[in-house]
Amino acid sequence: MSVVVAYKWAGDPQEASVGADGSVDFGRARPGISEYDAVAIQVGRNLADALGSALVGVCVGAAGAGAPVATKAALARGLDRVLVVADDSLATLGTAGTAQVLSALVGQVGDAQLVLAGDCSTDVGARMVPAVLGGTLGWATVTDAASVRADGAGVVVERTLAEGAQTLRLALPAVVAVASDAAKPQAPGMKDVLGAGKKPADVIAAAPLTPVGDGETLSAARAAAPARKGVVITGDAATAAGELVGALRAAGLLDKAGTGR
Amino acid sequence: MSRSYVIAAGHAGVGTLVAHAAALGGEVVALVVGPRDVAERVAAAGVTRVVWFDEAGGHAAEAFAPAVAALVGGAPGHVFAARRPADRVLLGAAAAALAAPVVADATAVADEGGRTVVTRAVYGGIATRTVAFDGPVAFCLDGGAAGEGDPAPVERADASPAGIVVTYLAPEPAGADLTRATSIVAVGGGLRAREDLALVEQLAAALGAEVGCTRPIAEGLGWLPRDRYIGVSGLRVAPELYVAVGISGQLQHMAGCRDAKTVVAVNTDAKAPIMSQADYVLPADLYELVPALTRALG
Amino acid sequence: MGFALTDEQQIVRDAIREFADAEVAPLAGVIDREHRPPLENLPKMAALGLFGMLVPEEFGGSGADTLSYVIAVEELARRCATHAVVVEAHSSLCCWPIVHFGTAEQKAAYLPVLASGEKIGAFALTEAGAGTDAGSSRTTAVRDGDEYVLDGQKVFITNGTFAQVFIVVARTSDDGAKGLSAFIVDRDTPGFTVGEPERKLGIRGSATNPLGFVGARVPAANRLGAEGDGYAIAMATLDGGRTGIAAQAVGIAQGAFEAAVDYAKQRVQFGKPIARQQAIQWMVADMATSIEAGRLLTHQAAALEDAGEDFTARASMAKLFCAQMAVQVASAAIQVHGGNGYTEEYPVERAYRDAKITEIYEGTNEVQRMVIARGALR
Repeated sequence: MSVVVAYKWAGDPQEASVGADGSVDFGRARPGISEYDAVAIQVGRNLADALGSALVGVCVGAAGAGAPVATKAALARGLDRVLVVADDSLATLGTAGTAQVLSALVGQVGDAQLVLAGDCSTDVGARMVPAVLGGTLGWATVTDAASVRADGAGVVVERTLAEGAQTLRLALPAVVAVASDAAKPQAPGMKDVLGAGKKPADVIAAAPLTPVGDGETLSAARAAAPARKGVVITGDAATAAGELVGALRAAGLLDKAGTGR
Repeated sequence: MSRSYVIAAGHAGVGTLVAHAAALGGEVVALVVGPRDVAERVAAAGVTRVVWFDEAGGHAAEAFAPAVAALVGGAPGHVFAARRPADRVLLGAAAAALAAPVVADATAVADEGGRTVVTRAVYGGIATRTVAFDGPVAFCLDGGAAGEGDPAPVERADASPAGIVVTYLAPEPAGADLTRATSIVAVGGGLRAREDLALVEQLAAALGAEVGCTRPIAEGLGWLPRDRYIGVSGLRVAPELYVAVGISGQLQHMAGCRDAKTVVAVNTDAKAPIMSQADYVLPADLYELVPALTRALG
Repeated sequence: MGFALTDEQQIVRDAIREFADAEVAPLAGVIDREHRPPLENLPKMAALGLFGMLVPEEFGGSGADTLSYVIAVEELARRCATHAVVVEAHSSLCCWPIVHFGTAEQKAAYLPVLASGEKIGAFALTEAGAGTDAGSSRTTAVRDGDEYVLDGQKVFITNGTFAQVFIVVARTSDDGAKGLSAFIVDRDTPGFTVGEPERKLGIRGSATNPLGFVGARVPAANRLGAEGDGYAIAMATLDGGRTGIAAQAVGIAQGAFEAAVDYAKQRVQFGKPIARQQAIQWMVADMATSIEAGRLLTHQAAALEDAGEDFTARASMAKLFCAQMAVQVASAAIQVHGGNGYTEEYPVERAYRDAKITEIYEGTNEVQRMVIARGALR
């Protein structure tokens, strides 16, 4: 059996530049594997070692995701091999399309019984790919897992939700998205980095199916940052505090206490 | 689209979803997973009817994903769900059954000549797009408050859960819902020690505000529960007053509090990103200013 | 001639940078103020394979190329010069000579434990009366049966406090520099003591200790190379160490430079960030240029070594240039910070203090000039 981890090769939107016409250019943003995906790979590594399984990474992205520097970076984190679909036409694949192509890759792994994913991606952050992936595969799916362990023919997941702490047992096959603190990822060591080039990386240049589109873009714009007053209040703590309280009171903000439960 | 679905897994906070669905026309069918009383609360939210998946505690709501997918696949329509773990999984299953695109951040949803036109933020909120869809769309948005209207009919679905058994649940009392709070005091990396949270809590008490935080405080350090973390993958809040204390204002955090009506920023670094995104800017040490504010509030 | 780093080298840089940002940076100021080594980070560095980079895979190391090693040292130094020299002294000055001059038994006995970080290495050549004039060392090693008896003192030995394996150069005959031999000495050798570390201007977290030998008996099997090879072994060892120190200097400079750039963008005087003042812009330009030049020299020296070509002069140039450059860049970085840069609240004063040692140890600037001139005037 193989344990699969879905990962992304993407840049941080904070480093992207947005044109006046709303177009987003990631050119100056160095792509990488996010800290969330690194956690998922670490959880996968721990599970694969416990089960004596292979750990396979799957990834969909622009051409850069298939470049050796990207596949080696992923392999250096602890994957045994990677399957990547990389083509620039896939750079703007939406959530649903990404999940579809990933599910096809999971099918290609053949003996996959468990797919792990990170909490969210750095660039899009929709937190929906694991759910759609699970739905496409027809596998039991849960998210926000704080821990995952193998148990007989299933996995036991622990997580903390707003309503309390839960322990779940899932029958395999399953898709589990892990919380950002489910494991502390080990930074790749020298041997991992130098050995990464020897592990298999299968890069496919075209999606194995026609994925679902993401709608027709009618227009784009830079995010309208709400106009902020930018009133600077300086001075010693007592004076500044007094001035702020006065301003908030004048704006009627100090009588609206309380929460709407 | 002649119908929209609104998913609710164990809660009734679907007011905003129902409003979007209703605006698109057609019947609004709530798909509720949970005990009967939740189904009845959702029935009062202004929906046409409720299909109730009876789940009283032995299975995770996610176990009904195949049943929800089968129902939605058999009678396609838009699907709306709140940003909550089980709701997302059910939405994902429905989206897969429909081969529908997924929209996770929409500020406007409208029907225009039979197409569904959506204005959405992209890439953590650095840009927006107006996109037209033909066919059903799966939306993951802020759920909104519970409704208080005339109850719609509730029909029990003939479906059983598949494969995800809850073996232990240690319930927590319902925490504050920061998405409904009128004031929030949020704290970030400027806080040096867990004990110092007391300062922030005192200010929040004086303001009648809830306490929120940035992701590292909740997930990295664990000083506050995860349901208090405000950011692009955490809570999106829109209070009247948002007091950000010791927060630098990274994109991922600001995406969660952008919609606050008034933002106050306290930070020793006058050039931190948040200082140019606030209504009141106080370049000061939170360890001096926060107690002073608490005192000034009496 | 390719200037691009290989994929592995880029990934090494990113991985060590990730580690340095997360685990090294928080300790850098602490160990400096407390004048103590980063012992709590040694196991983490070992787990990453940082102590096995120059040890071949067959002995448990990663068999990294010199350039990858140099990149790793620079990334450590960017956050903390001390962490960098712990790795550099262990790797270049202890692992390397055993790899290149050790017998099969010596390699099998020492390289695996050095590579795993279970034992840290050190190199002991310098004495109170023998610094640049290393050939005049007076610590003696007298043959007695199948042992040598060592008597004497060494000073300024990096990693002394916690190292377990010491390469010690001692005199086996009166023949000047040709009378020196090298030995692998275990810490627990009776008669061998490690003294209290020096309190220094910079790299304060680096343990710099005197060593004492009083009738310390070392097996003859632990002699590295033949009798009389000690000086040549030491010089060859220091040749390789040069590139490591050059990398450390580049890292120190890079860290100081980045701090200066951040500060310049934030500090507002006369209504605008000082980064908009031409004086600052020119300082930044000069810093950036000299760092890049130093890095390229260092990388080239490493690449020559990897190609099996003669790299001695290039390594000396790299160390000479980068050491002087690091001192200049650190000074300029303080200047950009103004009065703030002079306080302990900002990291640049530490960079300035740390940079100075690179002009002195593992061959002073003057020694480097001698080596370069000798090569040029041949």
